[in-house]
Amino acid sequence: MNALFDILRELAQAGATSGWLPASLAYGFVVNAVIAGLMIGPVLGGLGTLVVVKRFAFFSEAVGHAALTGVAIGILLGEPYTGPYGSLFGYCLLFGIGLNYLRNRTGLAPDTLIGVFLSVSLALGASLLLILAGRINVHILENVLFGSVLTVNNQDLQVLLIVALLVAALALPFYNRLMLASFNPQLAAVRGVAVKALDYLFVGLVTVVTVAAVKVIGAILVGALLVIPAATARLLSHSLKGFFRFSVGVATLATLSGILLPIQFDLPVPSGAAIILSAGICFVLAALARSLLPGLRGESA
Amino acid sequence: MTSFSATGPALAFDAVSLTLGRTDILQNVSFAVAPGSVHALVGPNGGGKTSLVRTLLGQTPHNGTLSLRWPGSEAGVIAYVPQALDFDRGLPMTVDDVMAAMTQRRPAFLGLSPRRAREIGEALARVGLKDKRRRRMGALSGGERQRVLLAQALIPRPDLVVLDEPMSALDEPGARIFADLLASWRASGTTVLWIEHDLAAVTRWADRVTGLNRHILFDGRPADMLTPERLLGLFSSQAAPAAAVKAARDLYPDLLEEVQ
Repeated sequence: MNALFDILRELAQAGATSGWLPASLAYGFVVNAVIAGLMIGPVLGGLGTLVVVKRFAFFSEAVGHAALTGVAIGILLGEPYTGPYGSLFGYCLLFGIGLNYLRNRTGLAPDTLIGVFLSVSLALGASLLLILAGRINVHILENVLFGSVLTVNNQDLQVLLIVALLVAALALPFYNRLMLASFNPQLAAVRGVAVKALDYLFVGLVTVVTVAAVKVIGAILVGALLVIPAATARLLSHSLKGFFRFSVGVATLATLSGILLPIQFDLPVPSGAAIILSAGICFVLAALARSLLPGLRGESA
Repeated sequence: MTSFSATGPALAFDAVSLTLGRTDILQNVSFAVAPGSVHALVGPNGGGKTSLVRTLLGQTPHNGTLSLRWPGSEAGVIAYVPQALDFDRGLPMTVDDVMAAMTQRRPAFLGLSPRRAREIGEALARVGLKDKRRRRMGALSGGERQRVLLAQALIPRPDLVVLDEPMSALDEPGARIFADLLASWRASGTTVLWIEHDLAAVTRWADRVTGLNRHILFDGRPADMLTPERLLGLFSSQAAPAAAVKAARDLYPDLLEEVQ
């Protein structure tokens, strides 16, 4: 798998030196970040359509914030602070699955329960970080919070690739069923959909995607890339086909421009912030387009 | 109306009871639905009709036995028409998208699968929505959304149809379409269990009717069962005086003066 990334890097560097591609791609770390972006964009944009349909936006934000605590636990347990994936996946999956379990058990509204989980998890993370403050350079945690393209390495790319393939392999065959389960659980059950199991599957997918993207986008902002592109697409489209395509397109565009523009123009902006700002600009433009072009609002049929 | 060519199952509810929390939703409910018949379930709101259907569809733990006897050795297809779908009205989702999401595996954003495209077209044509396939689901009227729910019940061809107040938002043409669907299900021997508020429709189109208010009130042919006295009994609970008056007015215009 590393050989594949090496080949891509060499190709990009050759392209950059010959002038076909932006000069910044001559740097290996930039190419790494772009490869990561090309995986993150489509996966988060595509899954984001389901997040919006199923009203999971707040949940995906919360899982991103849980990643912060996951990192703190990982460093405390002695995992490398550049990629404490064991604790990240472990803690965030526990967070998501625990939340879903309690939602089924207590019947509390999801936003109430997420509010509880989110604040308790953040309190735990803050406490652990203070313990860690004496041991490591806390500035490293800035990268965790807001993302950094400088530190994306082969291991991160491998994790991303595996997660991207896993999510595509599970979310695509179950796409309709995941939607139907949220439209009417009883109708879904009559049509042979395992509603509860699919709930857990979806929570798991959102969680692993979020964790895999933390390195580039950062814990604070990663949830936003599941929401903003899909929200933008919802403003611009009339059918699921357009919804999905716009969402993937906006997410990919925002990720790539958020990675490349700060490097190109030497802006001191963290990659995560730049990605989400790009996505936010797309959203504003879409909202403007919708209010200015009546064709986007009205019925096409 | 039991026909020997019925493909639908016979349903038997035997002493079914259901308690949620401390509330008795159903008490000792026993009745049978003949295969291939159109069987209506009527009663006041909160009388347990929807809970009974939920129990039938296997969603709630209950006491007593509930059996489906299929004519063949294998279980057939069950179709369910809920009252409504819960979705954000602004979602960019066309009628075709919704039909695809409900009936095919291929992700709905990739369009209709070739195998289903024709069936979906036919089903939408039967409910009179052929020209609205590309309309946004959220932009349809309540009656049109109800027609979409009826259309999805046709794919795949069902042997048992469970309807939860399918007429509540239907307009006059919609009601005619629904009557045609009932007739075609009866002709093909499909068993239909139909929750309904509109007692005039039940009298016209059901083969048998069961009145339910936590326990069975009556069970028989609509013409025999839905008499003025029965109606007053059925809706006499304070839960639905308005429904009683409306039902009475619908079925027996003269009744109102008698009551007053």
